[in-house]
Amino acid sequence: MSHFLDRLKFFSKVKETFSKGHGIVTEENRQWEDTYRNRWRHDKVVRSTHGVNCTGGCSWKIFVKNGLVAYEMQQTDYPRTREDLPNHEPRGCQRGASFSWYLYSPHRIKYPLIRGRLVDLYRTERALGKDPVEAWAAIQADPEKRASYTGVRGLGGFVRAEWDEVTEMIAASNIHTIKKWGPDRIYGFSPIPAMSMISYAAGSRYLSLIGAGVGSFYDWYCDLPPASPQVWGEQTDVPESADWYNSKYIIVCGANLPMTRTPDAHFAVESRYNGTKIVSMAPDYAEYVKFADLWMPVKQGTDAAAFLAMGHVALNEFHIKKQDPYFTEYARKYTDLPMQVILETQGDRLTSGRFLRASDFDNNMGEDNNPEWKTIVYDNKSKAFVVPNGSVGFRWGEEGKWNLLEQANNNETEAELSCLNSKDTIVDVTFPHFTQEEGDSLVRKIPVRELKLASGEEVYVTSVFDLQVAQYGIDRGLGDNLATSYDDESIPYTPAWAAKVTGVSAADLQRTGFEFADNASKTRGKSMVILGAAINHWYHNDMNYRGIMNLLHMCGCVGQSGGGWAHYVGQEKLRPQAGWAPIAFGLDWQRPPRHTASTTYWYFHTDQWRYERVEADSLLASTAKGRYRGYQLADYNVVAQRLGWTPSMPHFDKNPIEIVKEAEAAGAEDEAGVSDYLVDKLKSGDVNFAYEDIDAEENHPRNLFVWRSNLIGCSSKGHEYFLKHLLGAQNGVMSEGTEGAACKEVKWHEKSPIAKLDMMVDINFRLNSTGAYSDIILPTATWYEKADLNTTDMHPFIHPLSKAVDPAWESRSDWQIFKTIAKKFSELSETHLGKQKDVVALPMQHDTPMALAQPFGEVKDWKKGDCEPVPGKTAPIFKVVERDFPSTYGKYIALGPLMRKLGNNIKGVDWNTDKEVDELATLNGVITEDVISKGMPSLSEDVHVCDAVMRMAPETNGEVAHKSWSAQSKKTGIDHSHLYKGRQEDKITYHDIVAQPRKIITAPTWSGIESEEVSYNACYTNIHEHIPLRTLTGRAQFYQDHEWMLDFGEGFCAYKPAVDLQAHKNVPAAIKDKPHLVLNWITPHSKWGIHSTYQDNLRMLTLFRGGPYFWVSEEDAKSIGLQDNDWVEAINDNGATVARVVVSQRVPNGMAIMYHAQEKNVNVPGSNTTGKRGGILNSVTRTVPKPTHMIGGYAQLSYAFNYYGTVGSNRDEHVIVHKIKDQDVDWLERPLTPEREAKKNPPGINN
Amino acid sequence: MTLHDFAFGVYPYIAGTVFLLGNWMRFDREQYTWKADSSQLLSNQGMRMASNLFHVGIIAIFFGHLVGLLTPHSWFLAMGVSDMTHQWIAIIAGLVFGGFCFIGALSLVIRRMTNERVMAVSRTRDNFIIIWLLITVTLGLITTIYSIGHANNNDPSVMLALASWVQSVATLSVDASLLANVDPIFKLHIFFGMTVFLVFPFTRLVHVWSVPIGYLGRAYQIVRVKKVKVN
Repeated sequence: MSHFLDRLKFFSKVKETFSKGHGIVTEENRQWEDTYRNRWRHDKVVRSTHGVNCTGGCSWKIFVKNGLVAYEMQQTDYPRTREDLPNHEPRGCQRGASFSWYLYSPHRIKYPLIRGRLVDLYRTERALGKDPVEAWAAIQADPEKRASYTGVRGLGGFVRAEWDEVTEMIAASNIHTIKKWGPDRIYGFSPIPAMSMISYAAGSRYLSLIGAGVGSFYDWYCDLPPASPQVWGEQTDVPESADWYNSKYIIVCGANLPMTRTPDAHFAVESRYNGTKIVSMAPDYAEYVKFADLWMPVKQGTDAAAFLAMGHVALNEFHIKKQDPYFTEYARKYTDLPMQVILETQGDRLTSGRFLRASDFDNNMGEDNNPEWKTIVYDNKSKAFVVPNGSVGFRWGEEGKWNLLEQANNNETEAELSCLNSKDTIVDVTFPHFTQEEGDSLVRKIPVRELKLASGEEVYVTSVFDLQVAQYGIDRGLGDNLATSYDDESIPYTPAWAAKVTGVSAADLQRTGFEFADNASKTRGKSMVILGAAINHWYHNDMNYRGIMNLLHMCGCVGQSGGGWAHYVGQEKLRPQAGWAPIAFGLDWQRPPRHTASTTYWYFHTDQWRYERVEADSLLASTAKGRYRGYQLADYNVVAQRLGWTPSMPHFDKNPIEIVKEAEAAGAEDEAGVSDYLVDKLKSGDVNFAYEDIDAEENHPRNLFVWRSNLIGCSSKGHEYFLKHLLGAQNGVMSEGTEGAACKEVKWHEKSPIAKLDMMVDINFRLNSTGAYSDIILPTATWYEKADLNTTDMHPFIHPLSKAVDPAWESRSDWQIFKTIAKKFSELSETHLGKQKDVVALPMQHDTPMALAQPFGEVKDWKKGDCEPVPGKTAPIFKVVERDFPSTYGKYIALGPLMRKLGNNIKGVDWNTDKEVDELATLNGVITEDVISKGMPSLSEDVHVCDAVMRMAPETNGEVAHKSWSAQSKKTGIDHSHLYKGRQEDKITYHDIVAQPRKIITAPTWSGIESEEVSYNACYTNIHEHIPLRTLTGRAQFYQDHEWMLDFGEGFCAYKPAVDLQAHKNVPAAIKDKPHLVLNWITPHSKWGIHSTYQDNLRMLTLFRGGPYFWVSEEDAKSIGLQDNDWVEAINDNGATVARVVVSQRVPNGMAIMYHAQEKNVNVPGSNTTGKRGGILNSVTRTVPKPTHMIGGYAQLSYAFNYYGTVGSNRDEHVIVHKIKDQDVDWLERPLTPEREAKKNPPGINN
Repeated sequence: MTLHDFAFGVYPYIAGTVFLLGNWMRFDREQYTWKADSSQLLSNQGMRMASNLFHVGIIAIFFGHLVGLLTPHSWFLAMGVSDMTHQWIAIIAGLVFGGFCFIGALSLVIRRMTNERVMAVSRTRDNFIIIWLLITVTLGLITTIYSIGHANNNDPSVMLALASWVQSVATLSVDASLLANVDPIFKLHIFFGMTVFLVFPFTRLVHVWSVPIGYLGRAYQIVRVKKVKVN
């Protein structure tokens, strides 16, 4: 009926009344309601998810109406978990539910965009008759032309372009770089493949095929806890969130469950209903504190002290006062606690040295294979030293004894934990200590045995257990008067001592430590610690983490369902990794790829090393041998590269293609010949590692691809240094950078280089800060517009991204974009490159025999004359790769021949993959184009790639699980086939997962299992299948015996206070005399965004302040007259950021919290101090690498991509905060004048 | 047909038809656009004066026109209101409330043209209608100068002619010749006034229909019956 006619019936509209006339019933028209109904009406529902940024891995229904995405809603059809366990569904949060806004938002990149000045230059050159590569070369050869476009990066000036022209320019730029500088001057950055693995693989495949570097992200984001490789030889493996429910005691620190694990948080709540006690350790009143039975507000960055104190209690109560049978058995079998360590004489004192090895005994104790890599325990049964199974020496070169059965030489054994009752003597051992006012060392009495080594040397040996107990300060009646009670605050690591450091009451620490252990004792390990970014983003994150791991190992929690560690941040559970890696890195065509550690890469290439205020010497332990004393942090990194520990990109100061040419001209006939030639040249100094002169123009990175990422606007720790040196843009770096001159291994240039990059390409669906600083932006398909795969460690399912609608406007999927670039590149390289040989410098790789390169953890530096440079032993391995550049496109679109020739492998397990290649030829069809890959299985379409990944991975193909587990069984000598037997026939395809998420199959890639009995939990197979951890000892290591570990005082976990980065020491004159604060700069994750995505989403912006903000405590704010929502500036030597202040009781004094990552594209005014745009959270940070993270060639301390490397920590930083009056807020809305363009630095900065 | 005949013989019905049908259609089809589009939330500065003056003024003028022009001449006489009294009431009330309305409308126009926040949400029709109303009221005020002249000469003929014409329109027996001898300023004012009705359904003026007086006495709860079709 008509609304109007209804009105005409005004007097008869009341049909009846109720509630004494307070209510009336009418028959008015209700059509208006259809508006609301139509909002939710749709034509079809498609399954997809959100592919990067978030590790939630939630499956979503995408509702499409009239060809447009209307909205999204959580899927609820996950396969069930199991009886008596809550299910995973529904998953999803407010952020995911707001994604559809992006598709049609003003941020959407609709067409290829290019910097106007650049395209003008290019067209001018092309009009002169130059071909694309010549045209690009001409622009680069003219500094003025080059500066005209690099100098305006970040200042707008984009014009719409054609796909054809921009891809031609990209290809031309790549070719020019390869020719002139070398392929390793091209770099690609993209994070966390697991969330949209095909998109990741697109860029990394193209880049790997042309020989470019592909950068790591997990370590750069500082989400990688290096403690995990150190202790377990495992990048990180964690329980699925459902396993929280199986726990009985959970400590949460550094992970804000409802905020950042929104879809999983319900398990924590349900676990509480199930009787679990939850203890929170947030410094602030974080959202998850509400879950907790006890809140221990620990001072930020002191978590190690708290956990060491809890470990002190657990160790004392359950290992010393009494010996808990379960804990003792666990410690014996699965940790290095019984392993014997040689005490080393340093002058007149003893320190803990290296692990005792089979090679220290006569005849190597009968172990001819790798005796230097087999560690020793004292056997209670035979009353003698024995070589137990499972150490890394058993992993390579023999079969059947790499397991954790309590055996040595085929005899049953029982390792002794302590020699207290059968000691030869007691000696004083010195441990390094780092709490300033308490001295730099601790002397502890240790029971030892005397032993004469095969070398004739007489030494003391003792177990890790005896050393560890003493280091925890527990008194064993040996006369050193250690802690007599938990209230003894003079002995480090007692609860009372930790109370001083952490601010948590001693009683709480003592009780929690006891309860945690007691619960584990009663439940066989069902005590868990959930931890994350907030405690990992510190310089000494290893100590925070190892403090926790120690507690877990003492209590037998790791590897037990409901127990262990649960590290959640930026996780990298790319479940079908084995099927994905060959495609992602072009291993099906050529090996090895150029993997790179990004932290080191950015530290050097953005010249942050020039501003290094942290002296490496100040980090050395009092017990350090310190043969590199006087070296700067950058110097350590150069040493690590030349010893073959960690990668360098570019490798050398010369084009690697030219090196091979020269080697061949000098008579080299094969790879070995090239390698010999290169070794000679390195020795003579004719060829040098690039990092030795990183600022020389031949060592600059030239091309940078960023896709699926917001490198500049979000993760660029030392953002302003990126702007200055890498991009040559307007920047806010507030110091001159003279500190680097002290470097001994890196050549110093007085004038710092700027604008190193020739070209930066951003591939994105939205225009964020990274795009703003790029030269070319390519429009990519959103997460609802393409086919891809998604997995996470929060749940065990694999599920897809799929095409709800076609890529809008001119966007294309990442796979198609790189295919387009590959095609252009192939065409242009016909005349310019052809076939070339390229030499790749490969560091010693983890999970390969190369990890046994440098025995005993001794540093032998060939450049110092300790030894000869031997590739693969004392220097990187030099591999020659033939690059058929014009075939790049042909290679890109098909699965190459090496899968048949070399098979597939993961984590040191190899298998044949012929059958899968055959199946893919049928499933995907073969290439019919006349290219190099004619007849090979197609990878031309996104869905082909998804299916190829799943067919080749053990997690999604039962047959491959069978093959890989069979290979694993051979190594361990144990039959593991029961783990996958029930699913051997399963083959999961893309269309299967579009129908419903599928549970993956148990694979040797991971340390947990998929089963009907237990939830997925890290290290489960290490404990229950007796597969060794991939460490030196094969067990979880309390102790690290590498020389650099000992030098930097990290043999055992110790409490190390936050490092003073000194950037806040210079208070600018204009701020000095006005009220200001110095605050610790804390950058946790937000409720209204995940990384930078969503924070600029209108729907999310309306939920909080709609622009940049950071939080300050009420008292701090009051002290400088700040009121809520005032404009404030945070500033230090690194730069400045401007935001509004949130004044809140939630925040403790002394800290400013700026959520990661509010970037420059929404409401960011200028900074009054720098005169430049107000910055992002990382404008005031600078990354500082840690030498212990550079170690390589030593069992678990060996390089692998995203597994080990320097990490970009950023929480030790402090800023100066002051108020900006409203009238002083400058939005910089002025035209670009030549003067403004020329003035790139803040006032007063000249270099 | 002369322009005069069209303007005052045909145009009133075009305007009236568009007004009636337009409002009806919009009310039935576009319920979600049926609103005042107030910008007071964005900027309240000076609004107490401007908005109240404008609204009080224009409401009074509306009813003044309604009563003054549509009441049959004989009724006034029957009530003892002489033509000259009628004329003076009209002049004084017109000046007072027209003045209110003029000041209010002028303030609103200035606000709409200068306030950044208001400018940002202004659509063409919003700018158009307030300016149109300002012109109309200005013309109306100018007519009073002529009316005062007539009144001083004891000559109510123009007023009576205008009323007769309006009544002829209202009774569907329009006689454009009734306006043949009135001053052009009156005609212009009438044309502008009729045009307000013409554009009315396309502007925010529709809110005039929906003064929420009903809220004063309505029941707390209204249940609208859902009619289920039973076959």
